[in-house]
Amino acid sequence: MRLAFASSAIRTLSSLEEGECGEVLEVRSHSSGRTDRLLGLGVTPGATVTLLQKFPGVVFLCDQTELAVERGVADAILVRTGGR
Amino acid sequence: MSCHVVLERAAAAPRLLTLRPHPLRIALVGQPNVGKSVVFGRLTGRYVTVSNYPGTTVAVTRGRAPVGAEVCDIIDTPGVNALDGTLSEDERITRDVVAGASCDLVVQVADARNIRRALMLTGQIAAFGKPMVLALNMVDEAFARGIVVDAAALEATLGVPVVEMVAVEGRGLSELRDALARAARPRVPVHPHAGDRAVWAHQLTERVRHASTLSLAYVQEALARLTRRPATGLPILAVVLYSLYLFVGVFGAQTLVKLLEDRLFGNGINPAAIWIADRFIPFAVVRDFFVGPYGLITMGMTYSIAIVLPVVATFFLMFGFLEDSGYIPRLAIFCDRMFRVMGLNGKAVLPMVLGLGCDTMATMTTRILGTPKERLIAILLLALGIPCSAQLATILGILGGVSFAALATLFGVVLGQMFVVGWLAARVLKGERSEFILELPPIRWPRIGNLLTKTRLRVWWYLGEAVPLFLLGTVLLFVLDRLSLLGYVSAMGRPIVTGLLGLPESTAQIFVMGFLRRDYGAAGLFQLAQSGQLTGVQSVVALTVMTLFVPCVANFLMMVRERGLKTGFAILAVVTPVAILTGAGLNGVLHALGIRF
Repeated sequence: MRLAFASSAIRTLSSLEEGECGEVLEVRSHSSGRTDRLLGLGVTPGATVTLLQKFPGVVFLCDQTELAVERGVADAILVRTGGR
Repeated sequence: MSCHVVLERAAAAPRLLTLRPHPLRIALVGQPNVGKSVVFGRLTGRYVTVSNYPGTTVAVTRGRAPVGAEVCDIIDTPGVNALDGTLSEDERITRDVVAGASCDLVVQVADARNIRRALMLTGQIAAFGKPMVLALNMVDEAFARGIVVDAAALEATLGVPVVEMVAVEGRGLSELRDALARAARPRVPVHPHAGDRAVWAHQLTERVRHASTLSLAYVQEALARLTRRPATGLPILAVVLYSLYLFVGVFGAQTLVKLLEDRLFGNGINPAAIWIADRFIPFAVVRDFFVGPYGLITMGMTYSIAIVLPVVATFFLMFGFLEDSGYIPRLAIFCDRMFRVMGLNGKAVLPMVLGLGCDTMATMTTRILGTPKERLIAILLLALGIPCSAQLATILGILGGVSFAALATLFGVVLGQMFVVGWLAARVLKGERSEFILELPPIRWPRIGNLLTKTRLRVWWYLGEAVPLFLLGTVLLFVLDRLSLLGYVSAMGRPIVTGLLGLPESTAQIFVMGFLRRDYGAAGLFQLAQSGQLTGVQSVVALTVMTLFVPCVANFLMMVRERGLKTGFAILAVVTPVAILTGAGLNGVLHALGIRF
């Protein structure tokens, strides 16, 4: 299930273009581990993220931290683009 | 009520120069890769391994440091991203230190570039009620990326001393020592929910951090980009591996080994030792003990110093360079999909690559992995397939002389076997795999001083660790030989060694050595190959079996320490038959195809 409507400003991190940035809204998760770990790495609501690369893994910048994640994780991070 | 007790102790603790039953105990706590170990080294004068990737420190180190007129205990801890919620094993170690009574004061080391993350951790440290100091490290790198943190404003808000530092250059160290006397409990609102803490950290960051879009770190950023993109990253990986081969396999394993073995031992030490023994030792047994075919000097020292040491030294030097550059974690991006098949994720590339240095240390590094299942698989694969530097030495030494195809066959078979065993283990073992989430360190130019210190200490450590076992193994062989038991060993091993593996009978005793340390066994193969007693196929088969053995006694003990006696023996019981059967299969296939190398 993906929430990436082309017209909407709310998208998943994995649907961003390379170089595009957005503001984190929430991390969707079925396991608490994912949210906790991302939170600890600074991926919190309000944080600015920039997508750097999509293949072979998703790499993005959060503040000054470069993070590599698997696709499933990037799918679960909701960001707002275009605003502010 | 327990909370009340904590607060009381906390209020009493930070005063310096008071009578205490023990020295003031200061824990260095912070996110991974922010430089805790550098600060530790600077404060205590004691070197702990410093590298440029998260997870270098996975155990607690203690040291003494003079602070003012007092001597304090400093505790270096593994990096943590959080102190509550889902924690990995190394993070739990740190939480126990901070929560325990054995820590009076916390120095939080923070990366000035990532102040928001640091503040979230501050919020969690505050919950333990210990007085603290915040050390903002790497302010120079932050500045180069256009980030300035207002330390005074931060100090005013948090109510704890905030010290700006560049620890690798020793800047801010005396300020840190002075600040310890002013350590206080942070004025941080208590947030039971991580989400609220994040909001607080976010708002505070907005106030104290000034970021411009200007960055001076062009070169590092360009290199960071090039190493992680497949189109450029894979060619770079090939270049790195080839340089490793040239420096370690050719320069170390061939040029230096030849120099040491032929010149130093062959023409110098061994003849001199034999001459001395002949003149001064009247008993043939004692003479043989030192300089005989299984002599301490002629075999034990020659193997460990002349054959293995050059490769270990060159490997550690090159490896240290890669570690400090921040390159290794980037490989995780390429490996993630492959590792997932084996029930792991890309993060496992760290212990695996570290295993090329030393499997025993790498077994400990598996603590950074998320779940017990992942740890078990990683430990199993390390024991099964990853040759440590000392063994790499002998592999390169022997097969470098045979052919490239021989080398490729060995690595192909070993990697294939790891893949199969990993795939099976992922299905057989219970438990889960954790998701791949890894912080990539910035690319940095390694500091020569750190590189040399690290290499020197690792080489010393190798000498301390391996040489005694080499000598012990030599003594064992000597005794077996004296008691004429070597013949029995060979006879017992014959069905397997000669029958299944198609190797000469004398290889049996080398496998005995291999049980003690597989690199020692491989060094025995090296001499056998040099004297022309092994064909190309036999070399490949023997080395494959040796590589698939459990690395050494130390590694076995580490597995037991980390995962328990039962698991240790279970791994041994899996690895040994896999090693022998793979060798037998390889021997059969090579003969059937008529490959000679």
